[in-house]
Amino acid sequence: MNIRRAFSVTKRIVRGLRNDRRTVGLMFIAPIIAMCVFGLAFSGDVEDVHVVVVNQDEGAQAPGYPITVSIAEKIISNFDKDVLKVDYVDDVDEGVRRVEDGGAYGVIVFPEHFTSDIFSKIQNPTLPGGTTIQVRLDKSNVNVANAVAQAVSDAMLKTIEEQGFEVPISVDAEDAIYGKGAKFMDFFVPGIMAFVVFMLTTLLTLISFVGERTSGNLERLQATPLRESEIVIGYAIAFSIIGMLQTVVLLTIGVLAFNIMIVGNIFLAFLVIALLAIVSLSLGILLSSLAKREAQAIQFFPIIVLPTFLLAGIFWPVEAIPSWLRPLSYAIPPSYAVDATRSVMLRGWGIGGIWVDIVALFGFAVAFLGLAMWSLRRGRA
Amino acid sequence: MKNGHAIETKNLTKKFGAFTALDSLNLKIENGAIHGLLGPNGAGKTTAIKILCGLLKPSGGEAHIFGNKVPDRSILPQIGYMPQETALYTELSVHHNLSLYGELYGMSRSAIAQREQELLQFIALEKWRNEPVSNLSGGMKHRVSLACSMIHEPKLLFLDEPTVGVDPELRASFWEYFDKLKATGITIVLTTHYMDEAQHCDKIGLLRQGRLIAGARRRRLRA
Repeated sequence: MNIRRAFSVTKRIVRGLRNDRRTVGLMFIAPIIAMCVFGLAFSGDVEDVHVVVVNQDEGAQAPGYPITVSIAEKIISNFDKDVLKVDYVDDVDEGVRRVEDGGAYGVIVFPEHFTSDIFSKIQNPTLPGGTTIQVRLDKSNVNVANAVAQAVSDAMLKTIEEQGFEVPISVDAEDAIYGKGAKFMDFFVPGIMAFVVFMLTTLLTLISFVGERTSGNLERLQATPLRESEIVIGYAIAFSIIGMLQTVVLLTIGVLAFNIMIVGNIFLAFLVIALLAIVSLSLGILLSSLAKREAQAIQFFPIIVLPTFLLAGIFWPVEAIPSWLRPLSYAIPPSYAVDATRSVMLRGWGIGGIWVDIVALFGFAVAFLGLAMWSLRRGRA
Repeated sequence: MKNGHAIETKNLTKKFGAFTALDSLNLKIENGAIHGLLGPNGAGKTTAIKILCGLLKPSGGEAHIFGNKVPDRSILPQIGYMPQETALYTELSVHHNLSLYGELYGMSRSAIAQREQELLQFIALEKWRNEPVSNLSGGMKHRVSLACSMIHEPKLLFLDEPTVGVDPELRASFWEYFDKLKATGITIVLTTHYMDEAQHCDKIGLLRQGRLIAGARRRRLRA
């Protein structure tokens, strides 16, 4: 392993790009277009969101009826079971902790006197104050957070209708645990960042490497003292730098044009993106050994783009993907990068919160780099 | 180094699945001359050169370069390889293509600059130094490709069909280059399927279906 020779490979790639405006355009314009188009146009249905319910409602006797009822129970039973997967805990702190650990997307709290307050208000509408369901959400995933808030107020409205009373019950979802004030773009940018870096790096390396093979350059390189490991490392340096530059461009536009929020350490996000770029370029090199011509390489595009697009948690969380498909989400590297960049940028998590993602990406990187080197050496058999 | 033999192969065999590309090839190539491997397409010329350059592993038999059994990374700095394809980074300038290969052979910047100057003069492309290779004509690309394989002053140069697709005028000048190179003591091994080119070689080997069917020493004819 000679790092100077690896650098020569890196330099070659960067120099080549200077004279290849089309590719540079693809690298930097495509992500911007993707971000704007999807960001403005997309919003999807969310299902299977884990939430924690803290039901402290003691219930009360309805005026004129001797039985104790709990309006909270009725609202909970009206939750849309497709959207909310409910767990119950006894106290609020424990529920909040569950969300902080990433085990749930929100805590729904019904206060002690929920039902009795409602009944008092029915009898005497002039009483001050309202009856409030507290919903504390993790808004790092805005789609999901909105879906939870929506599901809670839908259940509340349905209950009011069933019971036939007119009482203002409000749902207070202002106090977010993570991502207070987050908008769709805040949630979307980290996801699309990981997605475009993964997609473009894989595809560009794939095409560039098919070119190395068909042009005879790879053979000429392999007849010099340059080792396969140095070729792969040279590519890794070039493409992790490009990946980070793409990230800078996206974040700049995100901040300037969409005013996105970044609460965490942005350098941690860069690290994640660089790791993802290394995984992607190794995958590109691996796939290049399966393609004889550039036209064949293009046939891999849907295989790379579609699963990532649908399964990596860019638009809806991995937990909201049907359970039989979920193993696929965990098998594709971008899922970990999407989760990690979002946790860093919106939840402000440090390395302690995303170490699982980092370890997974690192594992993918080492394995794929090794496989890429192996696939190059195998050419000599 | 075995008494003057640049290359020696013993029963060198290469199979790709059921196809035998090289069938017990026995070659002896002396130092300091132009050797032509002649034969139709599919005769195993390219396969032989790739094995000698360490790009393919033999399925049987063995090959030695300067007495070292291939593949052996330690001999790579002594050999130069010009593939059949142009094998240049067309988006890079002539200069950057040459310096890339210079760097890969561990040459210093000044050594690369000096050698590049010599080579550009040699292939008469000094004016094109900073031009992207994509702007060059086919013949010019061929000359740059030749220069790339010689940047590190190899002792043994493999040229795989260097004159295919080259117009007669350029072919003539290529042979002038090869003669000049030979004068510097380099051993050249080239493949061709033009019978008339064989007359330029000091020695030729005729390959057919992976076997050496004839070897001959030619008296060189000069125009």
